[in-house]
Amino acid sequence: MVSNLTLIVAIPLIIGLVNLCLPRVLQKLLTIAGLAYLLYLVYLIYKGGGEAAHLYGSVIFAVDKLSLFVLIFIQVLSFIILIFALKSIVPSDERFFFPLFSFTVSFCNGAVITTNSIIFLVFWGLSGVVLYLFGLIPRTDAASQSAKKTFVLVGGSDVFLILGLILVWFLNPKAGWGLWNTQIGLEGELAYIAFFSILIPAFAKAGGFPLHTWVPEFAKDAPIESVALLPAALDKLLGIYLLARLMFNLFQVTLTMHLLVITLGALTVIFAVMMAMIQHNGRRLLGYHAVSQVGYMIMGVGTGNPIALLGGLFHMVNHTMYKAGLFLTLGSVEKKTGTAELDDIGGLGKQMPLTFIAAVVCAFAISGIPPLNGFYSKWLVYQGTLELIQSVGRGAQIWLLICLMLAVFGSALTLASFMKFLHSIYLGRRQEKWAGIKEASPNQYLATLGLALLCLIFGLWAQPLPLAKFITPILADFGLNPAAYLGSYQPIPVLLLFGVIFILGLLVFVAIKKVRYDAIYLGGMEALEKFRIAGTDFYNEIKDMKPLRWFYRNAERKHFDVYDLGGQGAGWFTKLFQAVHRGILSEYNLWIVLGTLVIIGVIYWLV
Amino acid sequence: MILPFFIIIPLLAAFLIALISGERDNWAIAVAVIAMLALLCLALFGFVTIGAQTQVYQMGAWKIPYTICLVLDALSAFMLVIISGIGLTALMFSVFYIRHLSTSWKYYALFMLLITGMNGVVATGDLFNLFVFMEIALFAAYALVSYGSRAEEFEASFKYAIMGSISSTLVLVGIAIVYSATSNLTMATIAQLLPQNPTVMYFAGGIFLAAFGLKSAMMPFHAWLPDAHSSAPAPISSMLSGVLIKTLGVYVLVRLFYNVLGAPPLFLKMFMIFGSISILVASFLAMGQWDFKRLLAYSSISQIGFILLGLGIGTRWAILGAIFHILNHAIFKALLFYNAGTVEMVLGTRDLRQMGNLTKILPYTTATSMCGTLAVAGMPPFNGFFSKLIIIIAAVHAGHPIYASIAVAGSFLTLVYFMKVQRYGFHGKKVIEREGVKIGWGMRTAMIILAVLTLATSLLILPGIRTAVLDPVVAVIMNKTGYITQVLGGNL
Repeated sequence: MVSNLTLIVAIPLIIGLVNLCLPRVLQKLLTIAGLAYLLYLVYLIYKGGGEAAHLYGSVIFAVDKLSLFVLIFIQVLSFIILIFALKSIVPSDERFFFPLFSFTVSFCNGAVITTNSIIFLVFWGLSGVVLYLFGLIPRTDAASQSAKKTFVLVGGSDVFLILGLILVWFLNPKAGWGLWNTQIGLEGELAYIAFFSILIPAFAKAGGFPLHTWVPEFAKDAPIESVALLPAALDKLLGIYLLARLMFNLFQVTLTMHLLVITLGALTVIFAVMMAMIQHNGRRLLGYHAVSQVGYMIMGVGTGNPIALLGGLFHMVNHTMYKAGLFLTLGSVEKKTGTAELDDIGGLGKQMPLTFIAAVVCAFAISGIPPLNGFYSKWLVYQGTLELIQSVGRGAQIWLLICLMLAVFGSALTLASFMKFLHSIYLGRRQEKWAGIKEASPNQYLATLGLALLCLIFGLWAQPLPLAKFITPILADFGLNPAAYLGSYQPIPVLLLFGVIFILGLLVFVAIKKVRYDAIYLGGMEALEKFRIAGTDFYNEIKDMKPLRWFYRNAERKHFDVYDLGGQGAGWFTKLFQAVHRGILSEYNLWIVLGTLVIIGVIYWLV
Repeated sequence: MILPFFIIIPLLAAFLIALISGERDNWAIAVAVIAMLALLCLALFGFVTIGAQTQVYQMGAWKIPYTICLVLDALSAFMLVIISGIGLTALMFSVFYIRHLSTSWKYYALFMLLITGMNGVVATGDLFNLFVFMEIALFAAYALVSYGSRAEEFEASFKYAIMGSISSTLVLVGIAIVYSATSNLTMATIAQLLPQNPTVMYFAGGIFLAAFGLKSAMMPFHAWLPDAHSSAPAPISSMLSGVLIKTLGVYVLVRLFYNVLGAPPLFLKMFMIFGSISILVASFLAMGQWDFKRLLAYSSISQIGFILLGLGIGTRWAILGAIFHILNHAIFKALLFYNAGTVEMVLGTRDLRQMGNLTKILPYTTATSMCGTLAVAGMPPFNGFFSKLIIIIAAVHAGHPIYASIAVAGSFLTLVYFMKVQRYGFHGKKVIEREGVKIGWGMRTAMIILAVLTLATSLLILPGIRTAVLDPVVAVIMNKTGYITQVLGGNL
């Protein structure tokens, strides 16, 4: 009897392979049927049908509460995004898109349910390869550049993962190639090398500072469905999953490391959101937010206490929903207008109301507006950080408070940034050329509204649904006590309060009802297109503020991009070595002679 | 006794080609293909049947140490399979590729001589014969590198010949030293006698390390390779990079330093140091290249570094990784050279900046180049991932975390410069319209076979298959001077 866990990896893999040689209609049918079956399988596994799978006498696939949690949301998210993709991909790209989609699901599933480091390495690496291949689909110059950058950072970080996991095996040989419980004390340089070697790929995959720079570029150029699937959803799940394993299973992390990870998290939040605010391209804007939000997850998981971990993991799944939702709504708009440049779009809310509603809900969720899910998880992360602050020394307290303030400030900037996003696309004056645009196709708005609905449900019933059913049980697996909540935030009363305010506002509106519609008055001039105020201009002042101007200018020149900095460093070495390779035979012969002399000399000296 | 046929068949084929071919190359192709097929079958048969045994063939009924002996064990059989396997695909590729240079039979005669030399080096159990076969292979290689008859090719060939001769001189000096100390040329007997005189052993070892280090393009003896491998016709580049540097270089180093000298720690340490230098420096040099084939050539130096590192660590896992990487590198580097050759044939350039957007006009080349790229960059599930993984595991396990980190860094750099190849060479914007591009089916088939192999050989790592295929080869190397008893047997 084949284990359900084997099936959940094998079925999408086989579907992907078969799909490579099927016509397009069958491709879609097969993929949707397969992914629906995976939803059923994951339900069985949740109900206890997840018996371990063996290979050569050792366990290769098993689930604990953390992997089960991630597994469930991989299936849910990929299913919803697939519904969107059924009728949205450019026909010429479908041929490779659907097989890659199935492969992605298979590889991500494999990565989270394997207990063996080597198999984890394989699936983890494969999930990077499919990301790269998705990036190459559009066949444009920019796309190939973004795909290269993506794979250099994501695929390149895999080699560090190899080193890290091998060192973990070396430091605790008793655990074999086990990935789930080695609990190595952070002592000695090897342990630190191992720790950082695993931190790097987790950050690169999830998009944490300073390895995040691929996300906005990939988001800009790859097919938007693949952006919603990988960088927005599954890569977050995988990256934070690995971070959680690192912080709770693989190592016994010291306070200094907690502080370091939290700091990186806070920096991720603030740097990325500052960049997001000034973007003119919708995809890039969302890409920077996909980075910024990772900061909260990193802070949550990095803090290491139960409540922050709850917050971090909850934020991870919340983010997958609203960020996938935002990318897909933008996708719907882009399919209609052919552009994601915020300057060009505007006023589409009336024509695409359902997409607009989904986008509003998701945007409010990401901005942390109660009672939506994003608020709840950020709230938990803040609480967890506060709890840590209570238990550390004075210096660390101040440090953590700064981090916390940065994170809270980041949340405010997120809201500001999404005001711009929503305004630029859905509100404001519509250009004449977009007059004929209609609502997106049903599969598209069903998918985006579904994600928005999930955001609402996970916000209103956070406690009884995701937290109680999926996330709290993880604490016990990690040997943590159940979280003691601080404060008394209740989403439903808050919703009621908002409702009351809304109704009051409505009453005032109905009571006064003095609305006057006027033509736009521009000092007697005609309201030409050039006088239209696009949302992108909202925060231009920030760019020119004194201390920030330098930062933005250098950021736009990629002076902080680890990819470009690395490229320059490598270029220096290359030039150095090239300088001695001048193609002159006598020089080369001299090397041979010198090399031989050195060898003989060393032998003479030592023997 | 199949052993002498590994030399007789290609040698005979080379002369037969010269005899029976007229103006055209049709007969030459037929003879060469038949010979290569026969060699591949023989090599596979030899590899399957040899297991942990050793076969010795003593010529002319003379006995060791007076005879010229040929030795077949798992290691040499493994190398023979690689030579004839890659050789066959190179021939398939050549049939269509070489005709755009010339339609002369001479190419095939030289090709068979190249095979003769390499097979001879691998099969011989005699140091001087090794030298002779090495020279046969090298002379064929010098001629083949300049086969395109352009100035840069002659220059490359000339440099190759000069530096090759220096190394051959060193080999000869080494042999002379060994002979003066042991009065023997059979490697097994030398292995028996040399430890009695450690000074000579170390001195000769040092000279052999420099000499065969040059053949395997170990830094700083590598300077001939980028010119030679990038100037040769693509199938020859793949034979040189994929096979020649391993048979004339790495194989001989393994045979000499493990089986004859008994793996002295000093030399193993040198393997590790030179290997690490090769990995890093060649990676940076490859990164700066815009010439596709030159980039591949530097990449070969870097990958040889991985093999040397594995051999230097010297544990069972490290040797396994090195042996596996020899096979894997032969496959993916040959594939990448075919890709480069195809693109050069179609676009007439090797400059990555002049290429781009080849998905439409060269779909098979683009797809297979992706397999080769991912394999060489060490991405799962391709074979390169597993061999590099094993080498890194072995380095950590043997207590060399620094070397493991170097291998990791090298692996990262490999990924970076091959991403450049994909981005500029095969994707990117440059719109290239070529109507009616035809790349013969032989070229396509050769690329597809190797692309499939980059995936299929990953299976060799599964425990059951590994014990049957790779472990016997590792056992030969780990058995060190057990080679003596295996070869001399009753002659002791």
